[in-house]
Amino acid sequence: MAIVPPLLPLLLLSLSSPMFTQLFNRFLGSRFWALVVKEINQILKNRQLLFLLIFPPTIQLLIFGSSLDPQVQNLKLGIVDYANTSVTRELVSALSENQIFVADNYSFSEQALANQVEQGKITAGLVIPPDFNRQLQQGQTAEVQVLIDGVNANTASIAQGYITQIVRNYSSNLEVNATPPLVNPQVTFLYNPGLASSWFFVPGVIGLVLTLTGSLVSSATVVREKDTGTLEQLLMTPAAAWEILSAKIAPLFLLLMGDVLLALGIARLIFGVPFRGSWAFFLATSALYVFVGIGVGILLATISKNQQQVVLTSFFINIPVIQLSGAIAPIESMPTFFQYLSLLDPLRHYIAISRSVLLKGVGWEALGLNVLALGAIAILLLTISIKQFRTQLN
Amino acid sequence: MTKRIWNQCLKEWAQFRRDRLTVALAFLLPLAVLLIFGYAIRLETNNIPLAVQDFDRSPLSRAYIERIFATNKFQPTAWAGNDPLENAIDPGVAKAAVIIPPDFSRQVQADQPSPVQVLVDGSDVNNARVIENSIRATTQFFLSSSGLQPGSPRVATQTRLWFNPGLKEALYIVPGTYAVTLWIFPSMLSSLAMVREKERNTIVQVYASDLSAAEFLLGKGLAYLAIAIGQALVVMGVGTILFGVWFAGDPTPLLVGTPIFLANSILFGLFVGSRAGNISGAIQGVAILGFLTALLLSGFIYPLSNIPFPLSVLTYIIPTRYYIEITRDAFVRGAGWAGVWLFLLALIVLGFLLFNATRRVLSHMQLPD
Repeated sequence: MAIVPPLLPLLLLSLSSPMFTQLFNRFLGSRFWALVVKEINQILKNRQLLFLLIFPPTIQLLIFGSSLDPQVQNLKLGIVDYANTSVTRELVSALSENQIFVADNYSFSEQALANQVEQGKITAGLVIPPDFNRQLQQGQTAEVQVLIDGVNANTASIAQGYITQIVRNYSSNLEVNATPPLVNPQVTFLYNPGLASSWFFVPGVIGLVLTLTGSLVSSATVVREKDTGTLEQLLMTPAAAWEILSAKIAPLFLLLMGDVLLALGIARLIFGVPFRGSWAFFLATSALYVFVGIGVGILLATISKNQQQVVLTSFFINIPVIQLSGAIAPIESMPTFFQYLSLLDPLRHYIAISRSVLLKGVGWEALGLNVLALGAIAILLLTISIKQFRTQLN
Repeated sequence: MTKRIWNQCLKEWAQFRRDRLTVALAFLLPLAVLLIFGYAIRLETNNIPLAVQDFDRSPLSRAYIERIFATNKFQPTAWAGNDPLENAIDPGVAKAAVIIPPDFSRQVQADQPSPVQVLVDGSDVNNARVIENSIRATTQFFLSSSGLQPGSPRVATQTRLWFNPGLKEALYIVPGTYAVTLWIFPSMLSSLAMVREKERNTIVQVYASDLSAAEFLLGKGLAYLAIAIGQALVVMGVGTILFGVWFAGDPTPLLVGTPIFLANSILFGLFVGSRAGNISGAIQGVAILGFLTALLLSGFIYPLSNIPFPLSVLTYIIPTRYYIEITRDAFVRGAGWAGVWLFLLALIVLGFLLFNATRRVLSHMQLPD
């Protein structure tokens, strides 16, 4: 802040200096500026494009953000309590205490319980044998049977862990002279103490939305000129290919940065995702990623003949890009081959950045490699697409 | 009337066959999606990078650490520095850190509880819970197996995992992938076929002819149903070979349910095609509306019961949701008709609604006789 006061008059001075006005006028009179004005006018007139920039990203963020939730909770627990005493009822309430299981289903036979698991009506079942109390009183180990629907392997194994733990705690509470466990892990969840799923997924979905919107919108603006044949007219003008292309990219870039802010706003206001890192770092890396999206879009537009092909190919490029990025399912659990493959996926790097910046508040020191990878991919994509665009002209 | 439907169907079939590129894509793209989804979507993580800071450096603490890494859940991570939070978890080198206090072995041997600090990266919700559970379970196992705190528990659990005792995740993901794939591609083909008639204005000829909207739809739908059944055979055939997923019980619900689901998919495509103005609009409609809902609101990856209220209502009109239940039953559960008849009924109702909605759109344009 301290450097601002001396800078401000300096800036004003330079704005009014004749050299600057001359430069400014030259810029305003340049071919490049004329092209940018043309692009902005075209975008503002194109209702469909504005619609694509606002509506799908919002819907996608809302649906992805609220439907991606891997938490194991409210599993339906069926119970067959042959003993039916206060001790066993305590066990049942211990199991349904913390919302992981909901005991809403009492049956009278194991067969009925088994049928319910089979038909998917309950996820887990607990069978308490008739001699449960007798065994406890005689000092023997009483055994309860647990059935878990293993169809969803991930949920099943987490549920199994919970049941074992809850029963163990219950069991040690039964001991008269119970000793606390000698080693007691004290678990702290960092960054996301409430373990809110949306905090994990929404930063990833911001990247996903930028991918879908960026590639779609930028390919649409290029291919439309192709469809209508105005591209040839543009090429006949004295403007160089780079001028045409960068005049196209500049307004798109600004609009997509608007999408970044839109997505961030939804993340904060609707999902309550924190923002712990540096704004400058986040905006700079987002800008890099927007360039990746634009690069993909222009490349798609240059290799396709018409809008239909663009939309179709972008759809099939986006599926693996999204799938390998960790936006939907964590990268760490993918098979090793796909984990390596995902290193080539720009979205993976951007998601790593946005998750870490938003939740962990770390910056360049932790994410340098991701930024470099993103930068390299952005440069590569832009170079190829500009080259493609040029060869197309000849 | 049957003859007219049949002729429309033959015309559609001939048109499809002529377009070699579309034919190739119609069968290759579903396979590509099957491979990506079937192989890459896994939720259970092993080899989670774990940083250890051992202030005790005693045989006991080393035995404890060894025990933790003996499960294949964790993998030791090399990190430099003296703060595991700042040097291992913040940079993302490790997902969790175990910090053993300096008087760990002294306390344990004196029969005093020793607190071990476990820091878990909570940003990844699924893994955070898994890490917590397995550290707790391993600690328990360490105490009883090393003889420090033996004592048999008063209550023991005997767990049986039904349907999938090995907890193979492919059994969960692959049948779901069938459903998602067979939703996207048949609907995409049929929406393209429909919107093409509009773009080329051949739809006007149909409107002007005495072919009724229902006959037109049935004819078109029938041709694409045949193609979709071909896609289903290819996808499920390759899936069976690659992932070793085979019928767990009575296959008839799947045999009946698949054509009904495919009809839903095709009718959805025809509906989108009849509403969309141009081809890219149709593809976007199918891609955003169809693909997104089939992927997210169907219980394909994460449990349906986790979807919050206003959105959870929407899941009831997603056909993929019901078909996923049918495929999972056919390939994993094996309960047969008793478990899935309701889902089949739901598919029939949804298909009927889609058919009527599309017929309405088309008959508005039809000339009155």
